[in-house]
Amino acid sequence: MSMKSLIIITDERRVGGMLMAARTLSEQVIAVVVGSPSLAETVATWGFERVLNLEPASGIPAEAYAALLAEVTADIKPRLILASDMPSSRVLLAAVAAKQNAAIIGAVRAITVCGDTIITSRSMADDKVLEDIKTAGVIAGIFIGDDLEKPQTQAVAIEHIEQKNAAHIKLKGIIEPEGNAGLLTAARVVSVGSGIKAKNDIKLIEELAQAAQAEIGCTLPICDDVRWLPTHRVVGSTHNQIAPELYIAIGISGQPQHLAGVRDAKIVVAINNDPEARILKNCNYGIVGDLYKIVPALTAAFKNLV
Amino acid sequence: MKVITVFKWLRNPQDALVKADGSIEWPGVKMSANDDDPAVMEIAAALASGDEIIALTIGDGDLAWAAARGATRTTVITDALTEVNSSVTGAILAAAVKHLGDAEVIIIGDSSWDYGVVSAFIGQLGRPALAGVTAAQLQEGCIQVTRKLGSVSQVLEVNTPLVLAAMATQSEKNEPSMKQVLTARKKPMEKLTLEELGFSSPFTTVSSLKTRFPDTPPAVLIKGDDPVCACEELMAALHTEGVL
Ligand SMILES: Cc1cc2nc3c(=O)[nH]c(=O)nc-3n(C[C@H](O)[C@H](O)[C@@H](O)COP(=O)(O)OP(=O)(O)OC[C@H]3O[C@@H](n4cnc5c(N)ncnc54)[C@H](O)[C@@H]3O)c2cc1C
Ligand SMILES: Cc1cc2nc3c(=O)[nH]c(=O)nc-3n(C[C@H](O)[C@H](O)[C@H](O)COP(=O)(O)OP(=O)(O)OC[C@H]3O[C@@H](n4cnc5c(N)ncnc54)[C@H](O)[C@@H]3O)c2cc1C
Repeated sequence: MSMKSLIIITDERRVGGMLMAARTLSEQVIAVVVGSPSLAETVATWGFERVLNLEPASGIPAEAYAALLAEVTADIKPRLILASDMPSSRVLLAAVAAKQNAAIIGAVRAITVCGDTIITSRSMADDKVLEDIKTAGVIAGIFIGDDLEKPQTQAVAIEHIEQKNAAHIKLKGIIEPEGNAGLLTAARVVSVGSGIKAKNDIKLIEELAQAAQAEIGCTLPICDDVRWLPTHRVVGSTHNQIAPELYIAIGISGQPQHLAGVRDAKIVVAINNDPEARILKNCNYGIVGDLYKIVPALTAAFKNLV
Repeated sequence: MKVITVFKWLRNPQDALVKADGSIEWPGVKMSANDDDPAVMEIAAALASGDEIIALTIGDGDLAWAAARGATRTTVITDALTEVNSSVTGAILAAAVKHLGDAEVIIIGDSSWDYGVVSAFIGQLGRPALAGVTAAQLQEGCIQVTRKLGSVSQVLEVNTPLVLAAMATQSEKNEPSMKQVLTARKKPMEKLTLEELGFSSPFTTVSSLKTRFPDTPPAVLIKGDDPVCACEELMAALHTEGVL
C-alpha cells in the first residue's frame, strides 16, 4: 500500500502540525491548496514534496469544488488524508475520503507508526482521554493537534489544477465582526466569566488588562445573560477562537464550549475559588482563590514588571 | 421543500469517569440531545415553509424530540452501534436518508468535538455541502445560507440538493411546551433496522486499541491564600515559560 499523504488546505491553520503528523509515515507529503495563489505560495515553502493549487473562481467558495477535488486527487491514492477543522476543509475532506474509501477519524491529535501499524490518537470525552485507533486501510483525519512554527525551506513548484464544474454556491456577502480584530491577534488576553459579581467590577479586569497590555475577552453568559460585554468579546467554539501566548481566565468554570476557543493558546492561567472547577484541570497554571483578592495583586505584579 | 433532519442522543462527556488506567466509565449518565440539534430544527422550519420535515435518529432517547420541534414524522434506526467508527455511523445515516427518498435539503448538527460522523455523512451523500451554518432562509427561489468561517460570517446563495451542517451559538431559547410535546408523541414514527438499510454486518477497518491519559503535564496549582505571594509565584512561572 502507498504511504503517501495528502493534506487538504484552505487556510494556514495547523499546516505545520499536519505536515509533521504526516511525516511520521510518509516520505512524500502532498499539499492540495484550495484557495488563492498567495496561500499556495506560502504553503510551497513549508517543506511539502508537492504542492497542488486549485484556485476558486471569484465569488465561489472552496466547497463548490469538493467533487472536482475528489476527482483530480483520485490517482494519488494516499494512505493518509488530513485536513484542519475549518468548515470548508472538512467538507473537502469528506468528498476526498468518500472517493478513496477512507475511514474518517474525527479529532486527530497525533499519529504514530509502530511496525507496519498506523496508530491515530484521537481526543475523546472532553479531551480527558486519548483513544489510540488502529486502521487497516486509508485514513482520513481531521487534525486538531498542535501546530508548528514555519520552517525555512526552499519553495517547491506549484502545480495548478484547472477549476471547472463548480457546484452552485455563490458568495453574496461577508459579515465582518465589529471590533474584535484586537482580540483575534492579541498576544495576551484577560478573560472574565460569571465569577464576577457586578458590572462595575469589570473595571478590575480592565485595570489588569491595561497593566498586562492584554485584550479583554469573556464567556457567553457575560454577554448574553447580563450584557456587561459585547458579543465580539466572547471567546469559545461558537464565537472567537483565539491563540494568544497567554490567556488568563478569571471566574470562568471552563465549559468545553469556552475552552474550545483557546485550544491554541500557549499558556492558560485560571483564577477560580472552587478547587473542583473544571478549568483548574484544563489549564497550565491555576490560582485557587477569590478573584477579588487575586486580580488586584496580579495587576500590581504586572505593573512591577515594567 | 422537503427537508430531512438528523438528531442525536449523547452522553455528556462531563459525566465520564476516567479511571486511573485511562479507561472510561459512564456511571448513570443522563442522555441529552446534541447542543446543535435545536438549531437544525429551526433552520429546517425556515426552509420547509410548511412542507414535510422528516427527522432521523439512531438508537434510544426521546424519539419525539424532533417532532416536538416541528418534524412531521420521525425515523429511528434501532440497532446501529455508534461508538467506534464514525465512517460507519455516517454511512448508516446516509443510507437512511436515501431510504427516505429525495429531500431537497438535508440538515445535520455540525460537529464541534469529533468531526468524523458529519464528514462521513457528507461524503457518503455526495451532494454539495456547507458546514458551520448558523442560519438559512428561502429567497427568490434560492437558499441563502449564513455560515461561520473563522471569525467572519459569509452569506452564500445555494441551490438544492444540499446538505447543511448547522451550528448553535447559544442554548435553546424556545423549548417546546408541554402541549407540543404531547402532540409530538402522536406523530408518525418509523423504525428501521440495519438489515432493512442493506447493512448485513458493517465492515470496519478501524479498531480501538485503548484509551489513555494525554501526555500533557497536569496543571500547576497555586494556593491563593496569600494573593501577593501567589501572584509572585505565577509571574516567576510565566517568566520561565517565556510569555512575559
Ligand atoms: C456540553 C457538552 C460538551 C461536550 N464536550 C465535548 C468535548 O469537549 N470533547 C468531546 O470529545 N466530546 C464532547 N462532547 C460530546 C460530544 O458531543 C460527543 O461525545 C461526540 O459524539 C462528538 O460530538 P460532536 O457534536 O462533535 O459530533 P457528532 O457526534 O458527530 O454530532 C454532530 C451531529 O451529527 C449527527 N449524529 C452524529 N452521530 C449520530 C448518531 N449516532 N445518531 C444520530 N445522529 C448523529 C447529529 O445530527 C449531531 O447533531 C460534549 C457534549 C456536550 C453535551
Ligand atoms: C450551543 C452553545 C454554544 C455555546 N458557546 C459558548 C461560547 O462560544 N463561549 C462560551 O464562553 N460559552 C459558550 N456556551 C456556554 C457554556 O456552555 C457555559 O455556560 C459558559 O461558558 C459558562 O460561563 P462561565 O464560566 O462564565 O460561568 P459559570 O459556569 O457559572 O462559572 C463561573 C465560575 O466562576 C467561579 N467563581 C465564582 N465566584 C468566584 C470568585 N469570587 N473568585 C473566583 N472564581 C469565582 C466559579 O467557581 C465558577 O467556576 C455555549 C453554550 C451552548 C449551549
